[in-house]
Amino acid sequence: MSGGGPPRKRNFKIEAFKHRVELDPKYAERTWKVLEHAIHEIYNHNASGLSFEELYRSAYNMVLHKYGEKLYDGLQSTMTRRLKEISKSIETAQGGLFLEELNAKWMDHNKALQMIRDILMYMDRTYVPTAHRTPVHELGLNLWRDHIIHSPSIHSRLLDTLLDLIDRERMGEVINRGLMRSITKMLMDLGPAVYQDDFEKPFLEVSASFYSGESQEFIECCDCGNYLKKAERRLNEEMERVSHYLDAGSEAKITSVVEKEMIANHMHRLVHMENSGLVNMLVDDKYEDLGCMYALFRRVPDGLSTIRDVMTSYLRETGKQLVTDPERLKDPVEFVQRLLNEKDKHDKIISVAFGNDKTFQNALNSSFEYFINLNNRSPEFISLFVDDKLRKGLKGATEEDVEVILDKVMMLFRYLQEKDVFEKYYKQHLAKRLLSGKTVSDDAERSMIVKLKTECGYQFTSKLEGMFTDMKTSQDTMQDFYAKKSEELGDGPTLDVHILTTGSWPTQPSPPCNLPTEILAVCEKFRSYYLGTHNGRRLTWQTNMGTADIKATFGKGQKHELNVSTYQMCVLMLFNNADGLTYKDIERDTEIPASDLKRCLQSLACVKGKNVLRKEPMSKDISEDDAFYFNDKFTSKLVKVKIGTVVAQKESEPEKQETRQRVEEDRKPQIEAAIVRIMKSRRVLDHNSIVAEVTKQLQARFLPNPVVIKKRIESLIEREFLERDKVDRKLYRYLA
Amino acid sequence: MMGKGEAPAPREPEEEEEDTGGVVKLISAEGFEFVVDKKAAMVSNTLRNMLTSPGGFSETRQGEVRFPEISTHVLEKICQYFYWSLHYSSGKETTEFPIEPEITLELMMAANYLDT
Repeated sequence: MSGGGPPRKRNFKIEAFKHRVELDPKYAERTWKVLEHAIHEIYNHNASGLSFEELYRSAYNMVLHKYGEKLYDGLQSTMTRRLKEISKSIETAQGGLFLEELNAKWMDHNKALQMIRDILMYMDRTYVPTAHRTPVHELGLNLWRDHIIHSPSIHSRLLDTLLDLIDRERMGEVINRGLMRSITKMLMDLGPAVYQDDFEKPFLEVSASFYSGESQEFIECCDCGNYLKKAERRLNEEMERVSHYLDAGSEAKITSVVEKEMIANHMHRLVHMENSGLVNMLVDDKYEDLGCMYALFRRVPDGLSTIRDVMTSYLRETGKQLVTDPERLKDPVEFVQRLLNEKDKHDKIISVAFGNDKTFQNALNSSFEYFINLNNRSPEFISLFVDDKLRKGLKGATEEDVEVILDKVMMLFRYLQEKDVFEKYYKQHLAKRLLSGKTVSDDAERSMIVKLKTECGYQFTSKLEGMFTDMKTSQDTMQDFYAKKSEELGDGPTLDVHILTTGSWPTQPSPPCNLPTEILAVCEKFRSYYLGTHNGRRLTWQTNMGTADIKATFGKGQKHELNVSTYQMCVLMLFNNADGLTYKDIERDTEIPASDLKRCLQSLACVKGKNVLRKEPMSKDISEDDAFYFNDKFTSKLVKVKIGTVVAQKESEPEKQETRQRVEEDRKPQIEAAIVRIMKSRRVLDHNSIVAEVTKQLQARFLPNPVVIKKRIESLIEREFLERDKVDRKLYRYLA
Repeated sequence: MMGKGEAPAPREPEEEEEDTGGVVKLISAEGFEFVVDKKAAMVSNTLRNMLTSPGGFSETRQGEVRFPEISTHVLEKICQYFYWSLHYSSGKETTEFPIEPEITLELMMAANYLDT
């Protein structure tokens, strides 16, 4: 404080000169009178005649001469007296002028206080700290608080006025915000405790009851969306109010009051509100309302989890209906498309309205996982959907579109628990596409394989990739075959062989049918060529999978090119030598398995527009006593007629059972391998741990059934890979 | 307040804001007048308050301050100190501020009074 330059010491205490103490005994009284007069003059706005230096010197001398206490007490009582007068003048202010008067007096007091503090600075600096008294400025504020704000006639009036004004503003009136700001600032200046106790607390209480009443009223008459909008508006109003004329610290408090009264207390009612609650919003894609709900509910505890729970149960419910509705199951492509639509819809809701909240995304995913697996045909249908898209759906679509669709399918695929079932079907469908040359885009096919590979690993797709390799090698082989043997073959039928590696393809051993002699000749030539170039291989003809293009001439000489299956070709070729044949004749001559033969005859004779054969008696189904005739009245606008086999795209019930069984069969070695892997490293383990570990290991492919695992363990014990512990029967040991 | 090495640079704009140019007349007990820059006078906290206090005391209006208890030679020294302080308080380099031993006591009392 004292002394700036090096020669002077800081904090040097100056003692009063001894001789001065003996001064005029009335000195103190006189000096005080001067100062008291000055204080009154300051309050009277009459300071211009006063000399700062003189007053400062007076106060300085009083303190110096040990009259500090007298000075301080005098100040305190003088100021108290002034404030009591001020208090009276404020009390008399009428109605609306009350706050203005209070504010004006407060400004005056502040200014006067500052001036007084300035002239009494020396006292503030030396006497106050040593005597442990309140500094002048703080003293002035305390006196104001005690004699003005806490005066019985002002205290409650002030609070009522403030609350009344806020209430009026809430009801839409315009109030003097500047004045409000000054008053609340005054309360803050007097100390946070004054603001909190004398204003904030009652303000929050009144607000709580206001909003509790208002929310009750709103909820009775508004739908959910409107209610939320109103609540949001109220919340914003309160925040605005705080920014305009309350202390910033009140914001969190008042918003939490609004949140509690308007949202938390009505949360469940809002979410479940009839015809307009959360579920309706989801159904109707009300992004705005949903966004509003999200923004408001996230402010209250359990708000978001409430939304999430309702959304999850809604998703599960609708999803369940979707996947179990027998109507929907009729068209697999439509079925999957619906799932995708549902996913898209909710993805959009989450991204638009729920700010891409991770927890909501997880809820959506788990819901899909839940209901997709409710229907055990989902893997088949998803594969069929891909089949449909890669077969024809993507024709004309750009590469990006293909990627998008495939990505979406992969998303559904991820939800599947039985990924191996999907693999099985996918293999079948891919085989059909490849063999019939129906693949629209090789790139799209490969892209799908790559996706599956990244998702499930090399093992999952190795066979699928093998199929592609086979296709390529077959092409090369055929080119080579025709290049080398074209002279030998002459004008015979053209043969196109696909050589399929056993194991990679979903082939079923089927007895070859009797091929027509013309074909047989070419086949034999190919066989000798192929076995000539590749030693030690075996060729089996899969006559159930091929197709043929044949030319036929009908009654009036019209020529058609018929695209048929190998079986159908065999049947038709028989009619080169005979006009009519019985079912029995055909079966004997071709040796086609009965079920296939019936299907193939049905498509040749019973489909309108493609009935190149005539059946007697006419009926929809084929029976073993039917007879067939060449239909020379056949006509068609098209030169090329494609005669599809009547195959249900979707698997029939027995086929499904069969696939299921094959899948179960395939799982056995996988489960066993997993058990052995685990036991090899653990040596000893109890039953439940094995089941848990096996489930974990195989999760990526399918969800193994504990009962099956148990059976596998038993089988492994029989084959002496494992043994039961002799003491604890629940323990298994690995036998190396 | 204005000790050596204190008053870092950011303070200065504030001072200028309070009172830029302008001078103030300091009058000693014997009636000698010293005209100093307000900026220099405000090295003293007492003078600073005096010149910036609201409500217009006579000093603020007239721009002069009488010190009936400070003699001319002390006040002169004080004014010198104001400028010395102003000059060296912000910088790191300092020079000795010379004080004659015979006025030391009076100067100290004045310093206490002026809160310098």
